[in-house]
Amino acid sequence: MPMLAIDHVTKTYRGGVLANDDITLDAAAGEVFGLLGPNGAGKTTLVSQVLALLIPDSGTITIDGIDVVRRADEARRLCSFQPQAAAPVDGLTARQAIEIVGCVRGGRRDSVRRRAAELLDALDLGEVADRTVRMSGGMARLTGFCMAAVVPGRVVVLDEPTNDVDPMRRRALWQQIRRLADDGAAVLLVTHNVLEAERCVDRLAIVAGGRVRAIGEPGKLKADLAAPLRLECTLDPDRPAPDLPPSAALMATTGRRLLAHVQLADVGDAVSWAQHAQDIGVITEFSVAAASLEDVYANWVQTEGASA
Amino acid sequence: MTGQAWRACLLLFRWQMLRNRQLFALLVTIQIALGVGVIFGFSYLVPHIDAEVALFFATGAPTLTLILMGLTLVPQETAQARVSGRYDYVSALPVPRLAPMIADVSYWLLVQLPGTLLTLLLAAWRFHLHFHVDGLVIPAIVLVSLTAAAVGYGVAVTFPPTATTQVTQFLSIALLLFSPIEFPLSRLPEWLQDVHRVLPVTYMADVIRGGLTGHYGVSRALAFAVLGGYCVAGLALSARAANRRG
Repeated sequence: MPMLAIDHVTKTYRGGVLANDDITLDAAAGEVFGLLGPNGAGKTTLVSQVLALLIPDSGTITIDGIDVVRRADEARRLCSFQPQAAAPVDGLTARQAIEIVGCVRGGRRDSVRRRAAELLDALDLGEVADRTVRMSGGMARLTGFCMAAVVPGRVVVLDEPTNDVDPMRRRALWQQIRRLADDGAAVLLVTHNVLEAERCVDRLAIVAGGRVRAIGEPGKLKADLAAPLRLECTLDPDRPAPDLPPSAALMATTGRRLLAHVQLADVGDAVSWAQHAQDIGVITEFSVAAASLEDVYANWVQTEGASA
Repeated sequence: MTGQAWRACLLLFRWQMLRNRQLFALLVTIQIALGVGVIFGFSYLVPHIDAEVALFFATGAPTLTLILMGLTLVPQETAQARVSGRYDYVSALPVPRLAPMIADVSYWLLVQLPGTLLTLLLAAWRFHLHFHVDGLVIPAIVLVSLTAAAVGYGVAVTFPPTATTQVTQFLSIALLLFSPIEFPLSRLPEWLQDVHRVLPVTYMADVIRGGLTGHYGVSRALAFAVLGGYCVAGLALSARAANRRG
């Protein structure tokens, strides 16, 4: 039985906004499950229902077999979380905030103290550990993660845990997220950081417009893409964007960055085109690489945008 | 409540204390200043204070402080917590639904205690009053503060945060001007007296006054029974409102 099971959940807000439309997914113990999707996709609404803060219109959510709606108190005991907004740490040192939440979650004082010290050390939070300074966004977010991880539930929900976090600490944070799963928790990870999530998640769902658009292991989702290679070009800002060759399918143009998908058989053609474009100066550099999870994400979100 | 529930309340109280520790001394000082202000300020408002009026002033001040704590400080704190996300964060923790309110009430009682004691001592000195404090003053304080806070908390979790301030301010003014806390019930028009025989405010003032002086306006049992009923109903409605999950 999955540790977290979300079964045909639909949620409509007053005013008729359909936030979740028949969502079904599950996460097993020991698994990091990624929930990816654009702003307004319905991710936070889904998380609020897992945390028993909202009730689904229809469908069920269970944590280790416990119905979240009927036995909300028990479900809250089985689920720890890091909110999308900064955790409420004003006026407290990071250590105090982590230890209080650990004790509220039923941890023994001495083991909570030990685990808090371990997390503060692992995430290099020494400078705010025992000082009541106003924390930076990144520090507050890391402290929020520690509050979720100090006495982890069987399900740990992390809503955008890496926002505002610097690269070195972010690396340590991914290790700690992985460790939570390795220690037996089912981790539900909500993130926009597709590239980094690729290294950490075991399975993921792409949500757009309130519906699950794709679900599975990153490798399988990438294999399902129409094209296995990506051509990425950096455009010259002073020149008009070049027309792609017929063998490359334009996926996105963001600022100076142009992204296209290429079939394996057409890679020679695409590289020749890119080399020529660079020689005449319409692009400043290019690369060809295997398609990433970002391509899967862009593919589904773009599809959703086109069909909306 | 179970041991675990009490532990959760204590931990949330500790959280509240730590969060506000830098303001604690300031808040206590303000409460003391308010207490002093009430005793001396009322002397200007009513130049000729006889023993009965003095007793109402002296015993009405702590009642009013407790009610205003529940009807203004607790809901405003809760409204602020809803805006900052702290309310949702705590709601997702395994704590009883009313634990945040109980932690808030405990914190504000602690803030108000020195001011209340000083107010009574000042009143005794200024108006030559003699208090006969009995043990029932403790449950009286608990009942009054919890009943008022249950109403305030219910308002804060039901209304949008911006409306909470307006609603609680309206309730405060109505209490100050039209409730028999600082003056006897008999001064109000007949119809308002009838209203107050049903509302809990008269009984709130009565149990505190009785606990401090030994003299109750109505029967002691009736005052505690009515207030107890309101307290239980208020807490139940507040818990229901806090448990509402959209």
